[in-house]
Amino acid sequence: GLILLFYLVFYGFLAALFSFTMWVMLQTLNDERPKYQDQITSPGLMVFPKPVTALEYTFSRNDPASYEAYVRDLKNFLKPYALEAQKNLSVCNKGGLFEQNGPEYIACQFPVSLLDECSGANDPDFGYSQGNPCILVKMNRIIGLKPQGQPRIDCDSQDTSIATIITYPPNGVIDLKYFPYYGKKRHVGYLQPLVAVQLRFVPENAGQEATVTCKIEGSDNLKNQDDRDKFLGRVVFKFTMRA
Amino acid sequence: MGGGQKKGTVTPHEHNPRSRSKKRTKSGKKTKMKKKNKRDLEELKKEVIMDDHKLTLEELSAKYSVDLTKGLSPQKAKEILLRDGPNTLTPPPTTPEWIKFCKQLFGGFSLLLWTGAILCFVAYGVQLHFQKESTKDNVYLGCVLVLVVVITGCFSYYQESKSSKIMESFKNLVPQQALVIRGGQKMQINVQEVVLGDLVEVKGGDRIPADLRIISSQGFKVDNSSLTGESEPQTRSPEFTHENPLETRNICFFSTNSVEGTAQGIVIATGDSTVMGRIASLTSGLAVGQTPIAAEIQHFIHLITMVAIFLGVSFFALSLILGYSWLEAVIFLIGIIVANVPEGLLATVTVCLTLTAKRMAKKNCLVKNLEAVETLGSTSTICSDKTGTLTQNRMTVSHLWFDRVVYEADTSEEQTGRSFAKGSETWFILARIAGLCNRADFKPQQETVPVAKRATTGDASESALLKFIEQSHGSVAEMREKYPKVAEIPFNSTNKYQMSIHLLREGDSYSHVLLMKGAPERILDFCTSILLDGQEYPLNNDMKEEFHNAYFQLGGLGERVLGFCFLNLPSSFSKGYHFDTDEMNFPMDNLCFVGLISMIDPPRAAVPDAVSKCRSAGIKVIMVTGDHPITAKAIAKGVGIISEDSETVEDIAARLRIPASQVDPRAAKAVVVHGSELKNLNSEQLDQILLNHTEIVFARTSPQQKLIIVEGCQRLGAIVAVTGDGVNDSPALKKADIGVAMGITGSDVSKQAADMILLDDNFASIVTGVEEGRLIFDNLKKSIAYTLTSNIPEVSPFLIFIVLSVPLPLGTITILCIDLGTDMLPAISLAYEPAESDIMKRLPRNPKKDKLVNQRLIGMAYGQIGMIQAVAGFFTYFVILAENGFKPRDLLGIRLFWEDRSLNDLEDSYGQQWTYEQRKVVEFTCQTAFFVSIVIVQWADLIICKTRRNSVFQQGMLKNKVLLIGLLEETLLAAFLSYTPGMALAMRMYPLKLMWWVCAIPYSFLIFAYDETRRYFIRRWPGGWLERETYY
Repeated sequence: GLILLFYLVFYGFLAALFSFTMWVMLQTLNDERPKYQDQITSPGLMVFPKPVTALEYTFSRNDPASYEAYVRDLKNFLKPYALEAQKNLSVCNKGGLFEQNGPEYIACQFPVSLLDECSGANDPDFGYSQGNPCILVKMNRIIGLKPQGQPRIDCDSQDTSIATIITYPPNGVIDLKYFPYYGKKRHVGYLQPLVAVQLRFVPENAGQEATVTCKIEGSDNLKNQDDRDKFLGRVVFKFTMRA
Repeated sequence: MGGGQKKGTVTPHEHNPRSRSKKRTKSGKKTKMKKKNKRDLEELKKEVIMDDHKLTLEELSAKYSVDLTKGLSPQKAKEILLRDGPNTLTPPPTTPEWIKFCKQLFGGFSLLLWTGAILCFVAYGVQLHFQKESTKDNVYLGCVLVLVVVITGCFSYYQESKSSKIMESFKNLVPQQALVIRGGQKMQINVQEVVLGDLVEVKGGDRIPADLRIISSQGFKVDNSSLTGESEPQTRSPEFTHENPLETRNICFFSTNSVEGTAQGIVIATGDSTVMGRIASLTSGLAVGQTPIAAEIQHFIHLITMVAIFLGVSFFALSLILGYSWLEAVIFLIGIIVANVPEGLLATVTVCLTLTAKRMAKKNCLVKNLEAVETLGSTSTICSDKTGTLTQNRMTVSHLWFDRVVYEADTSEEQTGRSFAKGSETWFILARIAGLCNRADFKPQQETVPVAKRATTGDASESALLKFIEQSHGSVAEMREKYPKVAEIPFNSTNKYQMSIHLLREGDSYSHVLLMKGAPERILDFCTSILLDGQEYPLNNDMKEEFHNAYFQLGGLGERVLGFCFLNLPSSFSKGYHFDTDEMNFPMDNLCFVGLISMIDPPRAAVPDAVSKCRSAGIKVIMVTGDHPITAKAIAKGVGIISEDSETVEDIAARLRIPASQVDPRAAKAVVVHGSELKNLNSEQLDQILLNHTEIVFARTSPQQKLIIVEGCQRLGAIVAVTGDGVNDSPALKKADIGVAMGITGSDVSKQAADMILLDDNFASIVTGVEEGRLIFDNLKKSIAYTLTSNIPEVSPFLIFIVLSVPLPLGTITILCIDLGTDMLPAISLAYEPAESDIMKRLPRNPKKDKLVNQRLIGMAYGQIGMIQAVAGFFTYFVILAENGFKPRDLLGIRLFWEDRSLNDLEDSYGQQWTYEQRKVVEFTCQTAFFVSIVIVQWADLIICKTRRNSVFQQGMLKNKVLLIGLLEETLLAAFLSYTPGMALAMRMYPLKLMWWVCAIPYSFLIFAYDETRRYFIRRWPGGWLERETYY
């Protein structure tokens, strides 16, 4: 009986102490920017539609059900990029880093038209129904990251006899005006720049797998090679169009 | 044996049908093997059966078809050797090495870890089969687990084989030679080649090569002590004198020693069929019970295994209910098992025991079986031999009576005591008789050795006299040269005296003097006068009265008393007169009585102190001896086994002048039980004796009865240590919870049966052994408490991981780093911890109640300190994640996304996006920090585990240097694992920022402060609630 009470008091005290130390720790934190960023120095690349498990896509242009999920995913992803959603954002000057000192932080518009064929504006199927599927590539957000040089996302198809590749905006250029990012709290409405990759399958070789590698190029401080991290500054995915 | 099926002598145990039938019903439940052992045990209590000693020489010659002068023909000997095999004892069956190794590999926690490893491989197989994208993590972990099991197994095996090697070095190989006569030729052959029927010649100093029937002898004496415990040399001659082959004069036994004389005999048994061999092989067949510490460890392993299985299975079920896949649930199960098993603990225990065993070996206790280290500590009864263990095993002159005064001689080992009236003329005569009428002599080349330590030839009392005269009078050799011996009658048991005639030269005139010594009453019969201050006085009744008083007084001290007298022969016996001791052509009456000298085997100097230490430590010391009750009682009083103020029934009877039968036996604290009484007791009566008396001496006991006494004590729940040196003691040694053999005087068989060997044969060494044993028990508790504590911070991350779906705070590999890395040396260092209080002032532990690991220890380790440690670890974990961008409230339920390899833009609390690998690095950094936190809180745990009751400030930090090294080592190891480049690849451990080391420090202080307070309350209110609930 008494021992239970003892443990109750003991654990109560321990919980209180834990909460207190946690509270003290949280007080030392800054809401705008994490204390350490040394684990996240260079951004990773991510593709959309988000694959279910591995980075492998299959579809058949004649079977809308086979790409329905991809299209839905892309549409969802592009919702914040809709004109309506962007109307409060600013149009920023092209070509340079957009450093700000606050207290208000301005988010720049990213016109979907830059994605051209993959914007979903002209083709609600993102090219899937024509056998020219679109994939969106984005660079992860890192607070305060200032890319050097002119970063672009460079995509390659391993075998051009299966599929060729077109990137939008041309050359996969990422404008520096979207950097640096100032964090969720300060940089409200921030839109990260996107690059679209369109695969043009060669119909004769349908059914074969196309392997596409996308890498960040043109910037010295953005890594695109890491032994362990296969997504650091690059992404590899496979695409099969069933006949 | 001789093939005869004569009935054995009635054994004491057969008077005891009740206990036998009890045994039967008990053993009936057990396996066949046990039954057989039980039968063997009964058999051992019986005496030897043989009939060769009853045969006439002709019958003997016919039975073994051997010529009594020429021996066997060499061819026949060869045939018999082929048929019977060599004359050696079969070594006791040993467990094959690979079985021992397998026991280490699959015993204890290993099974649990094997299960974990197999589950790892299964999980990998399943992954490989059903998912294309599989990782090698599980194989890696499985291999590590197998490696852990194999390495700890090898380690324990190595430790154990090392301690058994000590024993092997101890076996004294006896590549002895025997002199046999074959085909009329004397030849030296190896003892192994001696065969049944061989004609063997033995002389003083030899070891008897086989069981022999003597056919001729000259003054042949043997020392049968290793077989019967009787240390007095016994005459061996061809006559058949006793039904019992052990008592009859015409049989000598294998591996006993001949003391003097020569003899020829026919081999009647060789190797295992000898009496010695039979006892040896039966003893080695006896089942050995589990040692108390083995039982404790097993109990503890069961406890931990149960906890592991319970937690594992319930969380396996829980994770399935929570919707995890089978595969994930299995992986959680592995983690929980690994976290729950203290992988390094059994190795730690082995090392601790080894350390103590080494320490004990330095103090002359050689431990054969590691676990026996602790058994000695829980001993509650010691049955000790007298001769050699409690006493110095050398007769020493202790008292003299001459000139009507009793003088005390110095009996101490170092000869530093007082002296006596050496000026008296009577002493001069007495010394001359004792020196001349004495057949003992120093062995040559011992001039540098102190007199008391020199080796002598001759029997114990004569040697005692020789040494005494050499020390207190002068060189005996010179004396003998000056007064040459011209005739002598050696001592024999019918005469009970020894006489010698010496030539006395004074100037140019020669005369003869007749000197005599012997049993005092016999000597007195020869005398008509008595020497007082060098003058002869008539021996009147007053004088006789005084003599009797002195004799009675010395006899009452348990001493062996000899009387001395002399006669100056008339000058008619001139130089060159031929004295014929058969025809007695000289007078031997009207002698002059000189005095008495009494001898005793005195107690060892350190023994009284050791006995009183035992008493204050709650250990009952029982003396079991073959000696006479009076001697036994005297020595018991001398060493404190019977304390000064306690009385036996007989003492009370004498004091109250009533018959002994009217005294209530319960009124007497002490009791001296005679072997013949013991024979007639049933087990209830023996129990009554053992229960009602605290001070017990068993006198005139046979070695077989020792076994009965040991069983009696064990029946009453005692943990019994037994000392013994003879072959016949070996069943008792084996039966005892801890058998202690004598290193110097012990027979090989007894050493083999024992668990421990006293290298100096000294009882006091047992007491140091007890002290070490108790200390290691306490320290093992501390060690285990320390090690178990870190189980909670190891297992809780898994549970939190499953329940709250946060990133895994501590990985399996890191757990192994703690259990097998940082925790090891500190846990071992607790074995070096000095005792908190005088451990020899408390009662022996009660094996039923005082467990090594009890619920209070578990409560402390798991429920209190472990919880604080876990909280410290989680605090560090949350700090690192928060400082990297993942605040605690965003972590809840994040697991599914966190673990998703294809999700490479996981958003943190600040809007940054993380690839899988990036967040995994953070996770592994957290795990490293959790690991480091455990190390830091284990600092405090180690310091609080130093003591169970005292404050650290009382105990002191600096005495235990190993512990300080342990603290340093675990810290350096943690730093090494964290900061070494490449660890990220090999162990997935990452460098930490300095602040992350600090996170756990407040909790470290909390642990220290909490436990100091707890122990303060325990000291402040002894026996109070806190002590009852938390003192382990």
